[in-house]
Amino acid sequence: MIRFWNRRIKTGLLTENPEIDRELKVIQKEIKSLVSKKFAGSLAIRMVDSGSCNACEAECNALSNPYYDLERLGIYFVASPRHADVMLLSGLMTFNMVPHVLDAFKQMPAPKWVITLGACPAMEAPFEQTFAIKAPAEAHLSIAHHIPGCPPTPKEIIEGLLVFLRKM
Amino acid sequence: MRLIARYAKELENIFEVVTVWDEAVEKEQVPKNDPRIKTLTKTHPTAIWFERKMHDDFGILIEDAFDNRPLVHQERFPKSIHPMQKSFQKKSLAFDDYKAYKYEAIGGDGVFEVSVGPIHAGIIEPGHFHFSQAGEEMLHQEVRHFYKYRAIEKMLEGKTLIDAKPVIERISGNESIAYQIAWRDVVLQATKSQLPDVNHKYHALLLELERTIHHLTDLGFIPNDAGFSVALAFASKLSEEARRELKRVTGHRFGFAAIDFEAHTLDTEAMTVYLDTLQEAITFFESWIIDIPSLWDRFDTTGILKTEKALKYDTVGIVARASGLRLDRRDEPFYHEHGFVMQTQKSADVAARFKIRLEEVKNTLLMMRNFRVEACEAVKLGEVEDGEYFSFVESSIGELFMSIEINKGVIERFFVRDPSFVNWQALHLMMPGNIIADFPLINKSCDLSYAGNDL
Repeated sequence: MIRFWNRRIKTGLLTENPEIDRELKVIQKEIKSLVSKKFAGSLAIRMVDSGSCNACEAECNALSNPYYDLERLGIYFVASPRHADVMLLSGLMTFNMVPHVLDAFKQMPAPKWVITLGACPAMEAPFEQTFAIKAPAEAHLSIAHHIPGCPPTPKEIIEGLLVFLRKM
Repeated sequence: MRLIARYAKELENIFEVVTVWDEAVEKEQVPKNDPRIKTLTKTHPTAIWFERKMHDDFGILIEDAFDNRPLVHQERFPKSIHPMQKSFQKKSLAFDDYKAYKYEAIGGDGVFEVSVGPIHAGIIEPGHFHFSQAGEEMLHQEVRHFYKYRAIEKMLEGKTLIDAKPVIERISGNESIAYQIAWRDVVLQATKSQLPDVNHKYHALLLELERTIHHLTDLGFIPNDAGFSVALAFASKLSEEARRELKRVTGHRFGFAAIDFEAHTLDTEAMTVYLDTLQEAITFFESWIIDIPSLWDRFDTTGILKTEKALKYDTVGIVARASGLRLDRRDEPFYHEHGFVMQTQKSADVAARFKIRLEEVKNTLLMMRNFRVEACEAVKLGEVEDGEYFSFVESSIGELFMSIEINKGVIERFFVRDPSFVNWQALHLMMPGNIIADFPLINKSCDLSYAGNDL
């Protein structure tokens, strides 16, 4: 284990925001103060996949890797809708998932918001309407913000969350 | 013989049931007015999902099946509808009354059931797991999926191969390149075209890069599920770098739209620099992680899938190889010439599935070096000829099988069997003898796709 820590210390901090670094520095304070003002210091997100290809989930997982480290901004992915302020919703709202998505939303304490993630929930992906698809999500829930992309990159997701916070 | 897939299609006056084995393809015709077939589950247990799906899709009755529950159609799906029949053309369905699904469960004094999902605690796809518990110990688990069912098969009917491509590459995001290569092989067969050697190498390079990303992700998440989160920090850094490399080469972090018949150039020098960096990092990672006793205490003997069970359940990919089966679609001259070495393990547990990934990343690194080409060429395709075409690709999970039938230039029937579809059915065999707290670890060690499974 000591070898790992030696390497870890030599590597130093990796966390970066390649192209939005400067912009982020400027608004980092703003996010932190927005999160602190509007969400008591931490914005809790419940990610729900309603029938995606799993790329959106992979990019959300990437938000926790050392390059992005989303939690330092006070934004957390939580395990239960009952802990969440925001539902981050990906996927095509499949026939089989819609009842569960609505259940999860019902479990969230108010005030609560839904942010749609990626092309699918807005029915903008190449998938065509079938009997098994009930997208767009806005037919079922009121959507506070949409983060486009197929899938949106981690950077685009961070930017999208910033826009949402400013809108609030 | 190994069962690869079993599915139905509708011809003019009959249904045809196609059973694809590793050594043969069988076709059985059944009348439309009274469609019945005999089950294969007595010798091949994994036939059950194929057969239950066939009943949902076409209304074909499985005469002697021990399990007649719907598979794809869940509690609120209208009962008498079989949407893969050509006469069904509706674009939307209303929810029907709730009909409870009867889960497999073990009864007995003190035995209780635990329901998990479809929405899980992490950032993960939806699916349901139903456990029968004696205290901490798992007695049985039923895997229930198809929450992500998008009706991809129906969606692609009537489309040309070219128009179907954007959907095919988005069936399972983690395996996009593999799906695109399966599609490519169908296009090549249908147009009687040949792929130049450089293109073959270029595509193989992308497939191995995709495998590297997926394996690196798992090399972090598996230890993380055993509480060793520092490995996730290390490996997720490597998988992010690999994804950026895929983006640099293809312009997309998941390689969507990367496999085509156009000319491309590759910056081989930058690729070499990247491969050297990864080589150094993975060598360190191995020497470090292999030396953490508390981690291997969790990995060793957890979630064993015995070789004979892996064989009986027709498993493929990482799961099969970790149980000692020599099964890999890359086991062919082209890959052997470029350094492919079949990786297998004997212990058949979480440790084996972890080690296989580690060994495969190292082997993949060698292959990627050999697949580096300066450029690939534009390929002129001929006319698409009607017919039925099969293709097989080894995705990062296992063997992917795709079958496309073309009639009058458009897709008449699209079928794909993700490696996950068979491996999910073997997952419950790994549970007995383990405690429920080890389920996430065992599940992650297989890292199967929900989207590819559900279609």
